[in-house]
Amino acid sequence: MDEKLKQLEKQYNEIPIPKELDFVVEKALKQGKKKRKNRAPQWLLGSAAAAALFTASLNVSPAMARTLSEIPVVGSIVKVLTWTEYEVKEETFDADIKVPSIENLENKDLANTLNEKYRSEGKALYDDFVSEVDYIKEIGGGHAGIDSGYEIKTDNEQILSIGRYTVNTVGSSSTVMQYDTIDKQNEILITLPMLFKDDNYIKTISENIIEQMREQAASDSDKTYWVKGGGIPDEELFDEFKAIKADQQFYISDKGKLVISFDKYEVAPGYMGIVEFEIPTDVLKKDLVSTEYIH
Amino acid sequence: MKTRNAFQHEEIFVQLIREQKERFYLLAYNYTKNEQDALDVVQDSIQKAMLSLDRLENVEYMKSWFYKIVVRTAIDFLRKHKRLQVTDDDTLQYLTPAQEDVYENVDLEHALEDLPQMYREVVILHYFEDLKLADVADILNIKLSTAKSRLYKALKLLKIQMQDVKGETAHG
Repeated sequence: MDEKLKQLEKQYNEIPIPKELDFVVEKALKQGKKKRKNRAPQWLLGSAAAAALFTASLNVSPAMARTLSEIPVVGSIVKVLTWTEYEVKEETFDADIKVPSIENLENKDLANTLNEKYRSEGKALYDDFVSEVDYIKEIGGGHAGIDSGYEIKTDNEQILSIGRYTVNTVGSSSTVMQYDTIDKQNEILITLPMLFKDDNYIKTISENIIEQMREQAASDSDKTYWVKGGGIPDEELFDEFKAIKADQQFYISDKGKLVISFDKYEVAPGYMGIVEFEIPTDVLKKDLVSTEYIH
Repeated sequence: MKTRNAFQHEEIFVQLIREQKERFYLLAYNYTKNEQDALDVVQDSIQKAMLSLDRLENVEYMKSWFYKIVVRTAIDFLRKHKRLQVTDDDTLQYLTPAQEDVYENVDLEHALEDLPQMYREVVILHYFEDLKLADVADILNIKLSTAKSRLYKALKLLKIQMQDVKGETAHG
């Protein structure tokens, strides 16, 4: 090789590698593995499989609805409190994990199920963080942070939608959002499949979202989504968004609109963060079981 | 059978990333010119790659397939974050000449830096990452003939620039 090129190569190779690289890489690999596992395989999106899945959830929810309908209406005394908070404050390590608790639900089973879930997940986050910190110290130091908490998306006479977020900061960050929506009057947990007559909602919602993604990308060059026409050339699409999961994260807005939520990296590049789409009720009408929740 | 392939792919992928992460970082850095952004690009690339790993047909192409993802993620990043290029402290310090003999290196660094991205990336992938020109063309999504002509142009530009720099030093 030419002498000058050799020197250029040396220059190139001498660019300092940040200490965080190891950690960012391991983290990305770990998250990547998790995502691969959670991801519905392509065949699952086929109609037969989706139908089977839907039947399974129908079998669960009517039974649940029946038991729950016997419970008297309690109105809106249901509330959300911070049950516990984990905090770590060290020079380069920062953790703040707030665990919510739903209070005053007459339906103790539902309250316990949700609160147990919140508590064990909060504890697991904290434990994970502690072991990450140990690992970082082992490899010679670095920064790590976790911020987890909750926000009430909707709290009206009928609906309580609570969203729990987890922001993991190591070099760069990832954000995960999980929602639970409760019918406060009937005291039942609302799931996405249960709102619709059949599995056709997956198709209806997905098509609407893809349409919205394209519109946004066309009118705002700062927005990119992983769909055809979503702001990046087709040949650069590695992981095209085709359809929502049957149990995609969602909440019901104060105005009774269905809002679908995607985590960071799920349907768009990282800089887009968490993205949400409100689905117009007109679009959903033909698939909805009733307009009680969504209107 | 497919699952097994996917599983094997995953193992090979993890190994490739662990072994070559510094190379991928350098490549990302060459586009972003900023430590934090380069880390972001590496992270984004790994996640994207893992989600489409099952669609990779031949494991032998994995490395250049991943280079392609890094390049595209970096370019996509730049497109969305058009802004002043910030040099971080480490690089600044590193570039600040401490001794006489470092001067020449700084000039060289600038010689590569001053090349437009389309020429710089061909030089880096072909010479520094040791990739065949056909692979470089595939990674950059250009024709082999285009890759060749860009490489020649790059070498020509580099020589001219370095001669200019030398001329200046001689006069000064």
